[in-house]
Amino acid sequence: MEQVKITIALVIAILLQWTLRGIAEPLAYIDFPLIIIVYAALQRNTFKALIFGTIAGIAVDALSGGLLGANGFSKTLIAYAVAEVARRVYLDNLLLRIPVIAGACLLDDLIYYGTHKLLGQEPVAQVVVTIAYSLIGTTIAGTIIYLMLENIFSGDVKTRKRDMFSARRQTRRRNPIRLGKRT
Amino acid sequence: MAERTQQEVWKLTPWLMIALLLGNFVLMAFDAREINSGQRIIRVWAQVAADFVQSPVTTISSSLTGYFQSIANLRTAQTENDELKQRVQELQVQITQKEELTAENDRLKSLLDLKDKSQYKVLTARVIGRDPSVWFDASIINRGSLDGVKLNMPVVTDGGIIGRVTAVSPLTAQVDLITRDKSGVGGVIGEVGTSKALGTIRGTSKKEILEMRYVSGSVEVKVGDGVFTSGQDGIFPSGLKIGEIVEVRSGSATTPHQIFIQPSAKINSTQEVGILLYDPPQLPAYEQTLPNSETRKKK
Repeated sequence: MEQVKITIALVIAILLQWTLRGIAEPLAYIDFPLIIIVYAALQRNTFKALIFGTIAGIAVDALSGGLLGANGFSKTLIAYAVAEVARRVYLDNLLLRIPVIAGACLLDDLIYYGTHKLLGQEPVAQVVVTIAYSLIGTTIAGTIIYLMLENIFSGDVKTRKRDMFSARRQTRRRNPIRLGKRT
Repeated sequence: MAERTQQEVWKLTPWLMIALLLGNFVLMAFDAREINSGQRIIRVWAQVAADFVQSPVTTISSSLTGYFQSIANLRTAQTENDELKQRVQELQVQITQKEELTAENDRLKSLLDLKDKSQYKVLTARVIGRDPSVWFDASIINRGSLDGVKLNMPVVTDGGIIGRVTAVSPLTAQVDLITRDKSGVGGVIGEVGTSKALGTIRGTSKKEILEMRYVSGSVEVKVGDGVFTSGQDGIFPSGLKIGEIVEVRSGSATTPHQIFIQPSAKINSTQEVGILLYDPPQLPAYEQTLPNSETRKKK
């Protein structure tokens, strides 16, 4: 059920990305699909995050003046990197997720710009200004969206935490010092 | 089928990532090659697929925006109404004068045996999407090859030119705006045919400012002069308004002027545009044999 909800969230994010610039220019600085991809990667579902990264990236590229596949490339890489970090470090706290989304946004923009530069299609926008605005917009929007998603998925998260950390608790119970005290 | 364990999934993910990255990179390489050749097949079909979703979403979102804007506009309606009433009275006087002038104009035209003729057919189109990525400035319009739109056709508004068609699908087309640094437009300052101030106009990093290059430093240029298309780029017909000069960094006899232009069309907020159904004149035979004319022959 959780996967269905994330898929729906991704579809909404792509639609927002396609339409919001026509309504208000500054909203283009928020990378909605990236926020959802990072969220999916933070759930430690690497497969899904990678597929989401490619699909969302190509969907955005289809209507963009940039190269088709550039967003797909950067977002796939980000999904993998975030999923790998989330596998090794405990990132279920919202405060810890803020620097993750900021870092992901920064890296995504740099990869996107780099691939275009590499293939001789330099973007129109000013690099530093665009990255700065994008970083601020995506981080703020990401924090708010994560708060909302946490409320939506709260039941699933509790179950997942219990499943993931049950093995660690068992190990603690077998601690020889404690066992020694008992005897 | 047995479900994979988490360990197996983690072992497989690097391979999936590599496969997806390769796929994306191949797409990018093809697209980069297609930009140069003018045949953007993959992009065209990606746009066709996206159009089925984007068109209805744009229609709904624009009607919603319009609804809320109309509510907001009610606040200023009374003041506007008073102003408009006064304006209507002024216009009525002007219309009477205009009618007399039109009648006089018709009489003079018939005397000179001139006919009203439009040089190019104009196809009106609606902007259904803006570039979702903040890095570029392309727009998607709701006219495609089924309506007669072809690659490189100029796109204009009543203010002046805004760009050219860079990808055409059956139902939609992508327009690259003149503010893009790779969109060169042949321009002339002042009247076409008499002015010697010819140059190339390109986008700059500032979104609403264009730069005109290669205008001889010996030609007199001043702020406020109008800039028009020269027709020498083989894409835009001559005489279309581009904008007005806002800054001139004077050159010398050996160095060209550096000229900055404010586009006359509202490039970023335009909702309705016109596509000029204009086929540029064919290149002379000797030019078609040049190596860099390959891309044009393909079109």
